[in-house]
Amino acid sequence: MKKAYSLVNLTKAKDQEAVQSICIKQIQLGEQKQEFNKRPAKTSRHSLSRSVSQSSTDSSVYSDSSEDESSPRDRLQKNSRGQSDFCVRNIRRAECGRREIELAQQEMPALMVLRKRAEGERPLAGAKVVGCTHITAQIAVLIETLSVLGAQCRWAACNIYSTQNAVAAALAERGISVFAWKGESEDDFWWCVDRSVSLEAWQPNMILDDGGDLTHWIYKKYPSLFKKVKGIVEESVTGVHRLYQLSKAGRLCVPAINVNDSVTKQKFDNLYCCRESILDGLKRTTDVMFGGKQVVVCGYGEVGKGCCAALKALGAIVYITEVDPICALQACMDGFRLVKLSEVVRHVDMVITCTGNKNVVGREHLDRMKNGCIVCNMGHSNTEIDVGSLRTPELTWERVRSQVDHVIWPDGKRIALLAEGRLLNLSCSTMPTFVLSITATTQALALIELYNAPEGRYKQDVYLLPKKMDEYVASLHLPTFDAHLTELSDEQAKYLGLNKYGPFKPNYYR
Amino acid sequence: MSDPAGDAKSEPKQASKEVKESENVAEKYSTMTVSKNSDVTMAELASAFSALPTHKPVKKQIQFVEDKQEFSRFPTKAGRRSLSRSISQSSTDSYSSAASYTDSSDDETSPRDKTQVNSKGSSDFCVKNIKQAEFGRREIEIAEQDMSALISLRKRAQGEKPLAGAKIVGCTHITAQTAVLIETLVALGAQCRWTACNIYSTQNEVAAALSEIGVAVFAWKGESEDDFWWCIDRCVNTEGWQPNMILDDGGDLTHWVYKKYPNVFKKIRGIVEESVTGVHRLYQLSKAGKLCVPAMNVNDSVTKQKFDNLYCCRESILDGLKRTTDVMFGGKQVVVCGYGEVGKGCCAALKALGAIVYVTEIDPICGLQACMDGFRVVKLNEVIRHVDVIITCTGNKNVVTREQLDRMKNGSIVCNMGHSNTEIDVASLRTPELTWERVRSQVDHVIWPDGKRVILLAEGRLLNLSCSTVPTFVLSITATTQALALIELYNAPEGRYKQDVYLLPKKMDEYVASLHLATFDAHLTELSDEQAKYLGLNKNGPFKPNYYRY
Repeated sequence: MKKAYSLVNLTKAKDQEAVQSICIKQIQLGEQKQEFNKRPAKTSRHSLSRSVSQSSTDSSVYSDSSEDESSPRDRLQKNSRGQSDFCVRNIRRAECGRREIELAQQEMPALMVLRKRAEGERPLAGAKVVGCTHITAQIAVLIETLSVLGAQCRWAACNIYSTQNAVAAALAERGISVFAWKGESEDDFWWCVDRSVSLEAWQPNMILDDGGDLTHWIYKKYPSLFKKVKGIVEESVTGVHRLYQLSKAGRLCVPAINVNDSVTKQKFDNLYCCRESILDGLKRTTDVMFGGKQVVVCGYGEVGKGCCAALKALGAIVYITEVDPICALQACMDGFRLVKLSEVVRHVDMVITCTGNKNVVGREHLDRMKNGCIVCNMGHSNTEIDVGSLRTPELTWERVRSQVDHVIWPDGKRIALLAEGRLLNLSCSTMPTFVLSITATTQALALIELYNAPEGRYKQDVYLLPKKMDEYVASLHLPTFDAHLTELSDEQAKYLGLNKYGPFKPNYYR
Repeated sequence: MSDPAGDAKSEPKQASKEVKESENVAEKYSTMTVSKNSDVTMAELASAFSALPTHKPVKKQIQFVEDKQEFSRFPTKAGRRSLSRSISQSSTDSYSSAASYTDSSDDETSPRDKTQVNSKGSSDFCVKNIKQAEFGRREIEIAEQDMSALISLRKRAQGEKPLAGAKIVGCTHITAQTAVLIETLVALGAQCRWTACNIYSTQNEVAAALSEIGVAVFAWKGESEDDFWWCIDRCVNTEGWQPNMILDDGGDLTHWVYKKYPNVFKKIRGIVEESVTGVHRLYQLSKAGKLCVPAMNVNDSVTKQKFDNLYCCRESILDGLKRTTDVMFGGKQVVVCGYGEVGKGCCAALKALGAIVYVTEIDPICGLQACMDGFRVVKLNEVIRHVDVIITCTGNKNVVTREQLDRMKNGSIVCNMGHSNTEIDVASLRTPELTWERVRSQVDHVIWPDGKRVILLAEGRLLNLSCSTVPTFVLSITATTQALALIELYNAPEGRYKQDVYLLPKKMDEYVASLHLATFDAHLTELSDEQAKYLGLNKNGPFKPNYYRY
């Protein structure tokens, strides 16, 4: 992420205050082809992102074994209303999926409130939204919210493994055209995307994308569709990156909103989410006790701060390694010892990496660790721990549990490596629905904003969600905590030079 | 940041930061910047500044022609400065409480009327009593202990003398900490002439100690208005010595030079300004196109801001309350109004001592942060009846009103950590039916007709400035930043800085932080070449993009 967004600058858009755009360095459009070819390695491409959408891949999916093996493409299914404009594994599983969706609704109060508040005016009336996201119960709540707000939706999956078949069925049963099932082939994937777009009588005017595949497909196959499209909402780091490339090449012909970098979403994806999942992930995999344990956390960014706070609260003795002196000073002031990894690696019980860097834990560190040391990664794809260096003949690998490997040295020393160095929080713990709710609400508001924006507010560029919307997302989630926000009096608002209802902070405020 | 002026102002600052750092530091840190950036024109910048005066509660609409008025307002200096959370301000107070042990013995003749000579025979200074130099030296040595960053800067840069040839004229508080800074500048090769930016804050013995080693200091505690400007004038106006750098705190020196000696600017390579007020004045000059040298805004460097707000308040809230009321925090119910940097600091400290903390907020994002950090977000009215302590840190006005004070329980404590003295509506307590009783310095009991007492601290002024000290370590951050800003401006190649106001380059900010790590025996990890390449960073920083806010 560091690499991707080298700079924020104010756009020249009219609504200069509200809108910020982030530019990307040195993006070549020529890379697009290559980008396209890379798609089978989808997970690794997404792994740049700490996107929530990625993690939903791993959440529970319970129905597969019982289903037949013929491709859904070869079967014609009808829902109870007699419609057949969808393609899912098994429409009869709709009821199971409905229960999943209802469960998710409980933890997504913001979207439910949004439904109630906006139902009367139906701000998306007339919107034809084509979406390409993970298809899970949480996303289903989003899709149905969009429907309630007046939109017509057609949906495809952005990941070949992540679809919850039952949920897809439940959506299809309600008349939403869903084209997705778990375990699509490469070919299936593009077929589904194509089916969701290419309908004679139905031309989309909004795009909700996660990963940029849908946008890419439309650019390639149906460029004329963009004449009617009012805007693109993109969630993932990858997709946002692709949009900036298009924008830089001058080929972005509609406005796009980058919801990935909204303040609320970023805080939840990194700080709060990791604060919980580090403990959850370690407990589930190793049942370790934290009190008095010596832990070294590599990196003190948002993720590192979350991990350290959680570990400290459970009584662990936490050491930090950091390269940036400012973050390092923060760690010192927060009461953590700042060390180099090699200084403490001999006596720590756990090593957690969250740097976004590569080879932070090398073979030479692993060699010096004590018996039973746990090594895991919370940071960035699978590069932080040099797992490759452990695949040598003298070391024995022993899988002791799902996601837990013991690597055994010739002298009998064992190191517990979690998730083979991949992201612990995605592999070994769940993502709270509440966090997904933040993302989904942000997406819904971004769609409403783009759809209802007066002509000219957004040009053919990539925008961040206006601060005010960001604040609105946060405010919709406050009732969960029974939190009572104070209102400014007129006099106070005047004194501060603010609007009573926000935005309360300048755009750059983090 | 609880300071609305700071907030409002930071917007253009931010804009300027981006433009400027990209234009000037771009080649140096090219990995972090983008060419598109330079599209933001100066015109846009100017329009950004034009929004300023309306946001600025105190120094609204200051034109250059208002100088006179400005001048006449000078005795309320402290009030003007109070907008700022600037450390420089706080050092005023910290030293009224620290040992200023020499004053009573001083005679009453004005230092202006006396001729004094230091041991080297020089008389180019004006302090209360040169004979106190030894006391001052000890003060300075104490301060040096906690300002290891400056000391290590001396060591690292002494060989190359990066300030050789620099003639620095300075106007800051004159305290032991500043003295360490001044002597560091001298060690790095600069010649310095110094005056005080506040008529009360000077430590006479420190001024004497500086004079003794040959720094021309013009300052004493308790200057008159006239003395103040005389001192500044003496600093700038010497035969055979023209300054080429200005280090200012509050903008008075810059102002004086502009007014009286505009020619001096021909030789000036840059201005370094510390306070919110002074920075604001510079932006005004810049906007009016009248800034004719580059200026560096050190007030808004990341490191300084974090220390001024979060870390400093985290410590001083406990210190301030303890000193004034000796209250115990465990189990006490406390409501903190505002969850910005200051509020976050206060809440963290109180929670750690076992207090039950409530938060009030207007901004839903900060509100949600408070929730996620485990604090109940409430409206003040909902908890006012049963809380033991109210702390305001909103930057707003009348957050605690008479109506709420009426409903508080007996013995509750009310204090302000936020912004000047507007947050608690103290004026509404000055009514005949209420009795005020001063129980200690800075502590008033306000007694209701039914006998209920509310404890008001510092009459609603900033608790951390009135009732606690600012740690030298924090002042060290500021001083180091100033020194680096001077070095940067003095050594910058022609054209890197234009006639505008700049933020310290990220890299310098990181360097300030790294100099302070030694205090914690902290060992920073270095990127390997391979890792640096992977991240697309320079091995030695800057490590974060400019907009990153930590």
